[in-house]
Amino acid sequence: MLPTFRPVALPLLSLLVALTCTDAGLAGQGRQRDGEWTTYGGDLASRRYRPFDQINRDNFKDLEVAWRFKTDALGARPEFNFQSTPLMVNGVLYTTAGTRRAVVALDAANGELLWMHREDEGKRGEAAPRKLSGRGLAYWTDGREERIVYVTPGYQMIGLDAKTGRRVPGFGRNGVVDLKLEMDQTIDLETGEVGLHAAPIISGNTIVVGAAHLPGGVPKSRNHEKGYIRGYDARTGKRLWIFHTLPQKGEFGNDTWLQDSWSYTGNVGVWAQMTIDEELGMLYMPVELPTGDYYGGHRPGNGLFGESLVAIDLKTGQRKWHYQLVHHGIWDFDIPCAPILADITVNGRTIKAIAQPTKQNWLYVFDRVTGQPVWPIEERPVAKGDVPGEWYAPTQPFVTKPAPYDLQGVSIDDLIDFTPELRAEAVTLVSRYKIGPLFTPPPVSKWEGPRGLIMVPSSTGGANWPGGALDPETNILYIYSFRQPTVIGMINDPARSDMNFINGQARDPDAPPPAPAAPGAAPAAAGEGGGPALTVQGLPLLKPPYGSITATDLNKGEIVWQVAHGETPDAVRNHPALKGLNIPRTGRAAGRIGTLVTKTLVIAGEPGFFTMPNGQRGAMLRAYDKASGAEVGAVPMPAPQTGSPITYMLNGRQYLAVPISGAGYSGELMVFRVPQPATTTSSR
Amino acid sequence: MTKRSAVIGTMAVWIAIACAGAIRGQETRSVWDGVYTAEQAKRGEALYGQHCASCHGGALLGAEEAPALTGFEFGANWSGLTLGDLFERIRMSMPADDPGKVSAQQKADIVAHMLKVGGFPAGPTELPRDQQVLTQIKYLATKP
Repeated sequence: MLPTFRPVALPLLSLLVALTCTDAGLAGQGRQRDGEWTTYGGDLASRRYRPFDQINRDNFKDLEVAWRFKTDALGARPEFNFQSTPLMVNGVLYTTAGTRRAVVALDAANGELLWMHREDEGKRGEAAPRKLSGRGLAYWTDGREERIVYVTPGYQMIGLDAKTGRRVPGFGRNGVVDLKLEMDQTIDLETGEVGLHAAPIISGNTIVVGAAHLPGGVPKSRNHEKGYIRGYDARTGKRLWIFHTLPQKGEFGNDTWLQDSWSYTGNVGVWAQMTIDEELGMLYMPVELPTGDYYGGHRPGNGLFGESLVAIDLKTGQRKWHYQLVHHGIWDFDIPCAPILADITVNGRTIKAIAQPTKQNWLYVFDRVTGQPVWPIEERPVAKGDVPGEWYAPTQPFVTKPAPYDLQGVSIDDLIDFTPELRAEAVTLVSRYKIGPLFTPPPVSKWEGPRGLIMVPSSTGGANWPGGALDPETNILYIYSFRQPTVIGMINDPARSDMNFINGQARDPDAPPPAPAAPGAAPAAAGEGGGPALTVQGLPLLKPPYGSITATDLNKGEIVWQVAHGETPDAVRNHPALKGLNIPRTGRAAGRIGTLVTKTLVIAGEPGFFTMPNGQRGAMLRAYDKASGAEVGAVPMPAPQTGSPITYMLNGRQYLAVPISGAGYSGELMVFRVPQPATTTSSR
Repeated sequence: MTKRSAVIGTMAVWIAIACAGAIRGQETRSVWDGVYTAEQAKRGEALYGQHCASCHGGALLGAEEAPALTGFEFGANWSGLTLGDLFERIRMSMPADDPGKVSAQQKADIVAHMLKVGGFPAGPTELPRDQQVLTQIKYLATKP
């Protein structure tokens, strides 16, 4: 006879599991304590994994809301894009939130506000290139003191006492390190275009902060702030080192910038999260591309370390190795998320590996000690474009394994084909544009055609900033990706930029120009006549799945399973042209989704809204069997997931925290748990 | 009750019914009913270029942090809400550097441009800046 558990045994059992489960491999990454979530990626290896199993396939559908926290008052106006990933340490949940990017400390059991910190940065904050609540914050302790460290929209690093929320006087100047200083360039403290929405990463006593800028499709100038990366002393806020992601004269890689273009070109920051291997003492940086997302004529050459994964010594900032994923990028394939560490076994050989998800839907896997690819990455010739003045890289690196986790490029076969009529309309639509495989160069936009390149994945991915999750017990990596085409065309518009070309689309020469706006206002976007919706009778141009979760076995370099993530959009389910057709779940593409992996589940909320089974507008939080991809449960939420979910154990109970927001729904943190089993005796 | 007062009372009832019908009619209006003018959308295009395109892209297709303002996903997210909801979202939070620097009328013009790009028909009357009126216009991604 099987033993039976009384209800009261469940929490005790869970506590026991939580206390005895330690992460397999990569021991010591971030000194993760059982039950807690102390760094953005769950650990410094960025695995987003916890071996908890109190929330499981049998009870996921029964999850109840433990508490919720609305972020509207944390700023002068509500926020609708709440992207933070919270931390949970010592029973306290910390998160950035609101349009002011305030920091709040909440009781992790019930959501009670313990303290709030805000910085009113005035015009500096208003001019910030990366606003709103940001992606999160970092926690530091030396065993006595505990601090919360975050970066404001105005690019100031703040050190707070984790217990009180007050600035730490000995950190920087009264708790503030001005990140626009000591950056090896002169930056206007108010208007200088550099900021960060990523969370800092801390290992030992070293804090690392990246740099971000405005989107670069239409840069005002080829001259731009550079996005250098710096390490700081967590105790004092003193700068320890700086890494020139855009190498200066005499530094390694400077010769990849022809015609001295390194001197004025900017960007090349790291706006994504970073990853650390504490045993190796290495920091891994996913670098963005240089100034000009789609035109590189002013920066001839391959342009290191643009779109490179760079490994540096955490203590000194000295380069160890790098691998450029895209040469001389003209597709905005910034590396968007943290690389993930995994100790894998390939053909019997153990490899300390690092896997880098990308917008372009390849998972690049390297030996993280040496930077050598685990499976061959081949330099192959790519098409040369015809944009005047552009410098085209003759080859690009092609990953041979694992297979891409989503579409790369567009062909006629990829277009909507629910019915022959819809396919025919789609073919007509794309005939005005250029289509082609990955690395097809954008053309000069002409009204008569091509009006631009239909680019898939778009500059937003594929995968994007939430990145993936890794199960260290199986070395299976889980990642969400989406299919959303965009149009990239090159136009000349000296009124808006001193670049020879910027992103835009030719206007109909017979159409009247847009009406002038208020006198003295900046010139309108000449050359841009709005855009195509890239839809066919209101339906997506491409075949589904529109959003997917893919599981890839890093030991074998093979995709294990793939599921459409997200219920089919209302507009597809209810479309008159599709009446009577049986369309399998399509997934949804209206957001960027982070995954979480536990002992048995992969958990992710849906992107975008739909009409839920209960008839209300919202999105589901879904759980999949991590071995098979079979959905095992779902619970409704009033809005889509916009930050990444975390899980933690507290007082013997497992919690699941999900930041949500969206169209017409301001930011809210929703925290779920399994209902408490009844322990009282019935009264008759 | 005099005959005169009875007539007035009857008229009042009919007026009330007619008004209620008109209000109901307004409530059922959608973006497919020609709720902006072509001229207004032209003004909105210029304003969009100045205040929105740098983040949301000239083609309204979004970039990095800024979501697309047209296309399937935008429609899916907003369908079923009202132009009042959309206008209020823009009114309180856009442009992100200073929501106050673009007037309510200009924001209505920008919404008109978004509707034009989205393929919704223009009509004889401009989209107003009055949120209460806008709340009576449904955003429906597909034609009812």
